[in-house]
Amino acid sequence: MVALLTAFSALPALAQDATRDPAYRAFPLIGSRLAVWAIAQLHLNFAAFILGVPIFAVIIEIIGWRTGDARYDWLAHEFVKLIFAAFSTTALLGALLLFLFVGYYPKFWTYMTSIFFPTYWVYALLFFAETFTVYIWYYGWDWLSGSRKAIHVGLGIVSNLFGTAILLVANSWVTFMISPAGIDESGALKGSVWAAINNFTWMPINIHRLIANIVFGGTIAAAYAAFRFLGAKTDEERARYDWMGYIGNFVALSAFIVLPFAGYYLGREIYAFNQTMGITMMGGFMSWLWIIQAILIGVLFIGSNYYLWLGMERIPGSERYRRYVPMMIGILAFGFMVWATPRSMVITLDEARAMGGTHHPVLGFLGVMSAKNTAVNMMILTTFLSFILYRRANRVSTKSWVGIGMLIQWLALGLAAAVVIFYGVYGYFVESLVRIGFSVYQVMAVLGAIVVVMAVDIPMFKGARSTGAIRWGTIAPRSQYVLILLAVTFTWLMGLMGFARSGIRQHWHVYGVMRDNSVDAVTPAIGYAANMITVVTIAFFALVMFVFWLGGLAEKGKAGGHGHPAAMPVFAGGSDAEPARVPGRKS
Amino acid sequence: MRLPVGVKVGAFALFVMGTYTYYANSIPQIQSKPPAELSLEGGNVTPAQLVKAGEEIFKTKGTCEICHRIGQKGTRAPDLAGVGARAAKTKPGMSARQYIIESLLQPGAYLVEGYPNIMPQVDKPPIGLNRSELWALTAFLESLGGTPDVKLDDIPKTAGAAAAGGGAAEVKIPGDPKAGEAVFTGKGGCIACHKAGKIGASPVGPDLSQIAKIQTPEYVMKKILDPAGSGTVAGFPKGVMPPMFGQSLTAKEYVDLVSFLMTLK
Repeated sequence: MVALLTAFSALPALAQDATRDPAYRAFPLIGSRLAVWAIAQLHLNFAAFILGVPIFAVIIEIIGWRTGDARYDWLAHEFVKLIFAAFSTTALLGALLLFLFVGYYPKFWTYMTSIFFPTYWVYALLFFAETFTVYIWYYGWDWLSGSRKAIHVGLGIVSNLFGTAILLVANSWVTFMISPAGIDESGALKGSVWAAINNFTWMPINIHRLIANIVFGGTIAAAYAAFRFLGAKTDEERARYDWMGYIGNFVALSAFIVLPFAGYYLGREIYAFNQTMGITMMGGFMSWLWIIQAILIGVLFIGSNYYLWLGMERIPGSERYRRYVPMMIGILAFGFMVWATPRSMVITLDEARAMGGTHHPVLGFLGVMSAKNTAVNMMILTTFLSFILYRRANRVSTKSWVGIGMLIQWLALGLAAAVVIFYGVYGYFVESLVRIGFSVYQVMAVLGAIVVVMAVDIPMFKGARSTGAIRWGTIAPRSQYVLILLAVTFTWLMGLMGFARSGIRQHWHVYGVMRDNSVDAVTPAIGYAANMITVVTIAFFALVMFVFWLGGLAEKGKAGGHGHPAAMPVFAGGSDAEPARVPGRKS
Repeated sequence: MRLPVGVKVGAFALFVMGTYTYYANSIPQIQSKPPAELSLEGGNVTPAQLVKAGEEIFKTKGTCEICHRIGQKGTRAPDLAGVGARAAKTKPGMSARQYIIESLLQPGAYLVEGYPNIMPQVDKPPIGLNRSELWALTAFLESLGGTPDVKLDDIPKTAGAAAAGGGAAEVKIPGDPKAGEAVFTGKGGCIACHKAGKIGASPVGPDLSQIAKIQTPEYVMKKILDPAGSGTVAGFPKGVMPPMFGQSLTAKEYVDLVSFLMTLK
């Protein structure tokens, strides 16, 4: 921290010196771009993890506190333990990234400093506040238990507020590079720095990253649990990590369902900022990137659903809902195929003549946004249905109005599906500008259905009759590989989206303001980017394993783990068994 | 033999990532290269050459094809087939040439009915066409159904002034690059150690063929006067570059030399 503050305080001097220095320096062997790329992606991966996990950790802690179920308190503590170990690695990578910019892109960094210098101090102070709040939150878990639990929960909430504020500040720098604002034609700041911060893509990326961080945190935590499950020696241990993996995946899935909507918002703002940039992103040299993205998101959707279906096998009473699975597989598979269909093919002249153009006469119609928006919205609805079935797998509603409730739910889902399909088909018959607006109606229909179904479901299953306890720990081991698949895929997807976000600037450091005149001004093709993303993702997982192993060293030899009262609650008998109680809670 | 969980999970994760990587390398590979600058000022260019250069600008740096089609109605922007003839009748009192130039520099001044005001000014970043490029592009558009008659002087002197991007605006060196090249190969003796594009081949010092792309004028000026104090490029021996250019070159020769070096991109 001291090093970081010292580095920040020295920046004005460095900035002045940089004007007499070269615009670029070459990083040995791999070059400056790859060095910055690797460290930036690693830093973002770790930062997303340590910012995402506390958001749901504090929610889980609150659930444990209010219900008195010690398992949730234990789980929240486990999650915070994971990020705690990753905190210093994130800071180190951030400092390294700063040094790379100052050293290898001095002119660029001088320019960014001329715009954003006041925010550097805000960032440093926020980081300071965040670090110490999390320290107290973690180390004070036992000290602030019982009657002081409210203070402890408050610390968790405050640390999240600081964490989110850090994200907003860092996003202002990144988004300014994409959609600069608040500057004159020479690139100098016109008035307040706020105009530069509040640029076109700032708020969409804030929202997108906040949600994506929760998904990412959930998938990594679930993968950690899966790893522990597969290596578990006892049924009790297996049950505990089965449950942890379920919660991690539940968190990831809940946030993942709304992530595409945040993506639409971001895309719309990119078009609003600069049509050329938007079209380059979707229809220019990056168009094939979205096919890969479609495949990755398809894997995430199908994997998440498959995990839920496997999980239902350990729930007595879930047999009632198996008949829906083939239908859901059908929708997901068809949606996946539609989404992954390219609009135009790169083919030889002879092939194009034989096909009558670069668009396939039949499948080409599935490659446009109308079809893709319809597919993704149907996949979201199907995934939500999977979740609803899982939720009620071992419960039978005892409410007298259950028939009407079910009818309302099916009507809401059916109506949403009808709206999505109607606008999907209608979109083929209108101009593109009108068609873009249709995606809003489709999204609103799906979100509306989710709200209505949940609003009915929660009271309908309150006090429901149980058909048997969930047999935690008995889930098929292949389900744990699904959790690992989801974590690896989402991490890879983050790398790909990072490349997209950075690549749409093409040969500009700051789009339209500061041109990239370095030897790396060429934006590489997708294969090159994929190789790089894979290398960095492997490095990330290797570091995560190492950091978790380090964090686990402290637990070795300590019966009951950290020692807080809720450590290692009993899971035998499943979720309906009488849980351990959180001390101080009278429920 | 039972494999440890870490090995199985690691192999599985590598397989997943390998599959994604293989697929990403199997689909069309398209790079985005920075557009090259076109300079026609002072040169003799035939109308045919101008039209050809303009077509290139239309398809590459101008990014016109993203929205405009020739012979095909677009949803974002008008079909440009026959624009060379049509443009003369679009705005009363304006020739085809004047209308096309206005459309490029002030796209919002006149909108074709049914199309939104979304076209960027092409002489401003990020497209940032310079005067030569605007000249060629106008000639190409005139050639679509008309006869190119645009002259370089028809393009406003101020057009393309901010094309390079404000934050990275180039510093104008008031020297003569030709005379500087003579200093490089002659009195300065730089050629003995440095390569500069097609000139020289010595590997003793760093290749300067793209020096203007990677270094600022301030750095180059300082390096000539104070080689040791400006650091040595990695991989080259220290203290080889003579420190006496501040005394041996006249002020004009010095400025000419810097001016020449800053043309090396």
